[in-house]
Parts: sequence; structure tokens; C-alpha cells
Amino acid sequence: MMETILAWIPLDIALIAENFDRFMYGVWITLNLTFLALLLGGLLAIPMAIARASKHPIFNPLVQTYTYVFRGTPLLVQTYLIYYGVGQFDVIRNSWLWDPILSSAWWCALIAFTLNTAAYTTELLRGAIADTPTGEVEAAIATGHSYRSRMRRIILPSAFRRAIPAYSNEVIFMLHGSVIASTITLQDILGVGRWLNGRYYLAYEGFITAAALYFLIVLCITWAFRWFERRYLRHLVRRTESADTDTPPAPAT
Amino acid sequence: MSEPAALKIDDLHKSFGSHKVIKGVSMEAQKGEVIAILGASGSGKSTFLRCINLLETPNSGDIYLAGEKMRMTKNRHGDTVPEDIRQVERMRARLAMVFQGFNLWSHMTVMENVLEGPLYVQKTPKAEAREKAKALLAKVGLSDRADYYPAHLSGGQQQRVAIARALAMDPDVMLFDEPTSALDPELVGEVLGVMRDLADEGRTMLVVTHEMGFARDISTKTVFLHKGEVCEEGPPAQLFANPQTPEFQAFLSRMN
Repeated sequence: MMETILAWIPLDIALIAENFDRFMYGVWITLNLTFLALLLGGLLAIPMAIARASKHPIFNPLVQTYTYVFRGTPLLVQTYLIYYGVGQFDVIRNSWLWDPILSSAWWCALIAFTLNTAAYTTELLRGAIADTPTGEVEAAIATGHSYRSRMRRIILPSAFRRAIPAYSNEVIFMLHGSVIASTITLQDILGVGRWLNGRYYLAYEGFITAAALYFLIVLCITWAFRWFERRYLRHLVRRTESADTDTPPAPAT
Repeated sequence: MSEPAALKIDDLHKSFGSHKVIKGVSMEAQKGEVIAILGASGSGKSTFLRCINLLETPNSGDIYLAGEKMRMTKNRHGDTVPEDIRQVERMRARLAMVFQGFNLWSHMTVMENVLEGPLYVQKTPKAEAREKAKALLAKVGLSDRADYYPAHLSGGQQQRVAIARALAMDPDVMLFDEPTSALDPELVGEVLGVMRDLADEGRTMLVVTHEMGFARDISTKTVFLHKGEVCEEGPPAQLFANPQTPEFQAFLSRMN
């Protein structure tokens, strides 16, 4: 029974099963690159987003230039510049940065992905911070909160929540963008698919398995975000008119 | 004159660009006084109130809270700025404000809204702050809504939470900025009821309002602002029975 089904599928299931360990290793590389980059990029993005939203005279233009550059160029190019480009300078090759960091494809990918996602996340958070209802900020000021404490207690918690739905896109884009790791020798999910194709000239086996694995990961990410939204956006569900503090109705004169 | 006034404002001026909104308003509230501030829209009454806790920075004028002067200075562009922002923050914590649009923190529950100031501004111990918050929610009649989010409450309920949030700070003076103007008519009564109780308790309150009934019945002093200046002021009974200026007469006839 099982064999007839397997025979009917136009894929060499046995070959995939044989290389299952390799694919699992690919999943591990993809996940650690993606989520480490998201974590580090997210941490970098918070102070940069605050600098942008508060229009800091020095840091705002600097951060804006940074986000322009990293959002304005393809991730593939950024990765190549770091992996192939940086090593051309003797200063760097002779420095402590070279070994074990910049000579390693994994580190180069992590740096490129982190800087890229930090740029996108900065702009996303900047928007969410700027969208904090003015009245809620005024209420925090009137309560006697200092700038730091209203940022920490009121503005950021509110902005993070509002950013959740948009950030789920960034997470999925970063996962898909991480395939670029396979172009600089890394055996991530796509890397394993490419290896299989190169070795056996069986494109479907490698690439369909890779696609299915990415799809499963996205499914998990979507579930996780649905949970986050249910948990952290409860306060936005079924909003009544009068609760819209952005636009208080005109005084009834 | 043993005790200084709870709140004293001396010759306050405020302009937005070249537009002069407040042209030298002075006001004094003794402890336990309820001052109703009336005026047509554009008279500067909300701006005046917002200058007291520096949500708007006045161009000149002095603010004293229980005799303590809010220290202001000029920056290098010649703008008036607080000399010590920490002092301003301390004084703000003693000047609780209730807004027209409620301005509850939407991501926090009712209880969290009321606890925020005591826990994170005044650093009150948790258990003590919780007890007090519970009592305050009971006082405004919302004990059963402690775990609700603001968006899940009616406007009147939200405003009562905002009043509880203000009370949680044990303020010396409470500033009300048109607290009932954003409410549906049938919800105004519940908020005014709570404010009436506060007045009866002897809270010092400055209330910018369009509710003539509140000004007439509750306030100890009514001030009518017109074009950024105090046009008439005095005990409400006298003021309403016998308006002196044509501006206040016209205002009263429009409101009734």
C-alpha cells in the first residue's frame, strides 16, 4: 500500500529520506541565522527608532542615512559586500576581526542580515512610536513621568503592540531573505536543496523539500504571531467610538 | 495669611507664534476651592489650564503650588523653558489632570491605569498602591471593571477611571479640562456626580467646563475668560444673577 503511493509520487522519496539529516542541519542553519539576526537587529532597532521618532538632532540624520542605504540596496549585494568585499583590505585581514569573524561565511551572513533587518525594523518601530496617541503621551507627562520613564512605561509598550502585525511580515521576509546564505557556501535549507540538485541533477527533490520546509516554518511563525496578537492586542479588539483618544469629539458648545 | 494658596498663577502669558492666546491671567485657589473656568471656544481657557502643568510652556508668568514656585528660565533662543525639569515633574505629579478625551493608556487595564502613577512615579509599595486603587475604583463605581481595557468601557466609565487615576496621585490640585465635553449627554451626569463628591470632600479643583449647572451649583468661584483675559470673576451666585459685562451676558444667553 505505502509502496504504491510512493511509487505514484514523481519524487525520489528515498533520496530525500536518505538526506533528511542534511535537511535538518539546513533547518538549523536557516533558523539560527534568521532568528539571531532578528534578535540582534531588533535590539539595534529600538534605540535607533527612538532617535528617529524623537528627531534627535545628531542621531536622527545618521540613522536615517543608515536605513536609506540598507533599505535601498538588495540584501544579496549587502551580503556580497561583507563576505567578498571586506576581505580585500589588508587592515581587516590582519585584524582580530578577520579570524574568527569576517573570514566565516556564517558570521558574514549574520552581520548582513542583522544590519538589514535592523534598518527595516527601525522604520517600522519609528512609525509605531510616532503613532502613539498624543493624548496618552500627554497623560503620561501630566502624571509626572520623566521622558525616559514615559518612553519605557507608556510609549514603547504601546508602540511594540501596534507593530506586531507589521513585524510578522518582517520576520517572514527575513526568513525568506536568509536563502542568500546559500550563495556564500552555507548549507542552509536552500543550500542543501542546491547541493542535492548539483549532485544528482534532481531539481524537484531538493527544491520541493526546501520549499516545504520554508512553508512549515512560515506556518509556525504565523501561528506564533496569531497568538501574540490575541494576547497583546486584546485592548484593540471591538474598539468603541468614544475610546478613540486620537480624535476626541469637538466640544459641545 | 498663614497658609499659602494651594495654587497661585501670576500674570500668565501665552502666544502661539504671533497669536496671543493668554494675555496676563492671574488666579488663586485656596485649599478646598473649586474654580469653574468658563469661556467661549477660543477664549484660551484650555490653554490656560494646560500651561499650569506645563503641557504648554507659558511665555511668561509665575506658577506657585502651595507656595513653591515653578522655576523657569530662558534658553539661548530666548524661549521660556523649565530651569529644572525634575522640579516640573514633581509638581506635575501633584497637579493631576483629567482630559476631555480621557486619554487612558489604551494598552493597560483599568487597574493598571490607576496603578501607573503611584507605582512608577511615586514609587509607592505595590500592596499599598493596590489597596488604594481598589478603594478609588469603588469610589467611582467601577470595582467590577478593574480588568477591562479602556476601549471596552463607555465614555462616562472611561472618564471616571481617568478621575480615579488622577486621585491615585493624591494631588494637591486637580485640573479638569472640559471633562464632560466628549461625552454623550446621558453619560454626563455620572461624571459630574463624581466631581460633585470630590468638591464636597474639599478637593482643590480647577474645572474648565461648559456645564453651567456645575459652575453655578458646585464652584466656589467662577471665572469667565474672554479673548485670553479674565473678563469677570466672583462667587457664582452673584456672577450668574448679575452679569456685568456684555461679553458674559452674551455668553450666558448663548449657553442657556
